[in-house]
Amino acid sequence: MEYVLLFVSAALVNNLVLNRFWGICPFIGVSKSFDAAYGMSAAVLFVMCVSSVVTWLINGLLLVPYGLGYLQTVVFILVIASLVQFVEMVTEKTSPELYAALGIFLPLITTNCAVFGVSLINIQQGLGFVKMLIFTFGSAIGFGLALVLFAGLRERLLFSDVPKAFKGAPVAFITAGILALAFMGFSGLTK
Amino acid sequence: MKNNILRYSLVLGLITIISASILAYSYDLTKDRIKEAIRQDFLAGLKSVLPDFDNQPDSDAIITDNATVYLAKNGGAVVGYAVEAVSMKGYGGEISVIVGAKPDATIYRITVVRHTETPGLGDKIKAAAFTSLFSGGSLTGKYAVKRDGGDIDSFSGATISPRAVCEAVNNANKLLYEVICETK
Amino acid sequence: MKLSSFTDCIIKNNAIFKQMLGLCPTLAVTTTLINGLGMGFATTFVLVCSNTVVSSVKRFIPAKVRIPAYIVIIASFVTVVDLFMNAYTHELHKVLGLFIPLIVVNCIVLGRAESFASKNGVLDSLLDGLGNGLGFTLALCVLASVREVLGSGSLLGFSITGGVVPPVILFVLPPGAFIALGFLMAGYNWLRRRTEV
Repeated sequence: MEYVLLFVSAALVNNLVLNRFWGICPFIGVSKSFDAAYGMSAAVLFVMCVSSVVTWLINGLLLVPYGLGYLQTVVFILVIASLVQFVEMVTEKTSPELYAALGIFLPLITTNCAVFGVSLINIQQGLGFVKMLIFTFGSAIGFGLALVLFAGLRERLLFSDVPKAFKGAPVAFITAGILALAFMGFSGLTK
Repeated sequence: MKNNILRYSLVLGLITIISASILAYSYDLTKDRIKEAIRQDFLAGLKSVLPDFDNQPDSDAIITDNATVYLAKNGGAVVGYAVEAVSMKGYGGEISVIVGAKPDATIYRITVVRHTETPGLGDKIKAAAFTSLFSGGSLTGKYAVKRDGGDIDSFSGATISPRAVCEAVNNANKLLYEVICETK
Repeated sequence: MKLSSFTDCIIKNNAIFKQMLGLCPTLAVTTTLINGLGMGFATTFVLVCSNTVVSSVKRFIPAKVRIPAYIVIIASFVTVVDLFMNAYTHELHKVLGLFIPLIVVNCIVLGRAESFASKNGVLDSLLDGLGNGLGFTLALCVLASVREVLGSGSLLGFSITGGVVPPVILFVLPPGAFIALGFLMAGYNWLRRRTEV
């Protein structure tokens, strides 16, 4: 039950994008079409899970025992950057289909604060291995959910009559605000 | 090709070594101040819940099995006890309070040190109007919001946050009462 | 570098309102003006330092490994800022907390290093970093002022409404951040179109 609550809390109540504002750049950037939103969500899910496991292990086995906590930021971002590159090379070689689907989104993930942020918060909350995995998985699902929902809304926005000054990004932000308002309804769900 | 890879790793390695040494130096430069800042922060919290004291409560502490109780002394005599306690039942998660008590087993003051309650609603638990409701109460009393049959007035729009504070205070009171009884 | 291109960075090509970069810290920390200022200055410092260093070492960095190299440089400065803010402005650090390390993934910083500093001289890059940093800070302050006045009825912690007008709590909550930024962006577009015609 505790694990279910942790998942719900990570995916819905403390939604990465709508509550913590992590990963806003891809949220606004690649939400123009449904397909791109799906691709990005899948790429984030994959990279986030792998990088969380790797950074969690590095932190526990190397940084903490040797008192190198202050190198956290540098080490984590390097791990994520090289991991993204590695995943890109492996998928290109082994599965051209997957590469065609995720390829263009992978480089964008390096500067996706959601991936880096989740790695950090896993450490900060002092989660154990299983809880860390569930939290990361929930967060990534939450990110995907918000992204896909928002892409659906934006496809509709294209055909609506919006005042000139609001066209494009401004109206997208206001829509995101209303979506965030809806997600606030989830708070208290884990109580 | 081989030459290139060697060059790449050399350049990257060099940058990493330089940056790691700069960081090690900055860390060394700041670590004592950071420790002191965190300590001062905690002392400020203790100060706000205890009567005037002239000792260092964090070095005059009684460490029991489940908590650390900080002693406030004035002129050598114990004038107050303080302990930090948490409740996990806040609306946004953990709420952490410090409760200060006088030697006659009554609450002196409480303060909320950490919380993630909703701004404008639940975060009113930090306001003096709310925390002062506990002042002067007995350590052996049970505190609860009015909705739960207690006498702590919860404010409009939020019951969960004050309820969690009550729970944390009750936990703290138990710890404080044990220590006060033992030292008497 | 011409003075006009420096001022362009601040207003005309504003990092947030025009280029829409670095949105995560923008939305997350702007609940009060003081937070916005703190975040703005921390980012400006990192931006100036990383731009300067990147442009001065660009000759030695092979193109293939430039991104990891830039990221290490940026991450180092971010950690330095993090440590010093924790030591000397502890109160502010407690509030901004997790968002300081996140400057690393702020697209403005890597964006300027990649698109400007890696192609231009040291002095120009320094000014570019300063201009973009100040533009970022300005945008943060505008958004933070709006949210603090509407959401808490105060500015820099001083009450403005005197408790007579109840604050619109929505604006300090996450949804309010999106909505306030949306309206400010629309205002920015509207003003720009009027001044350009």
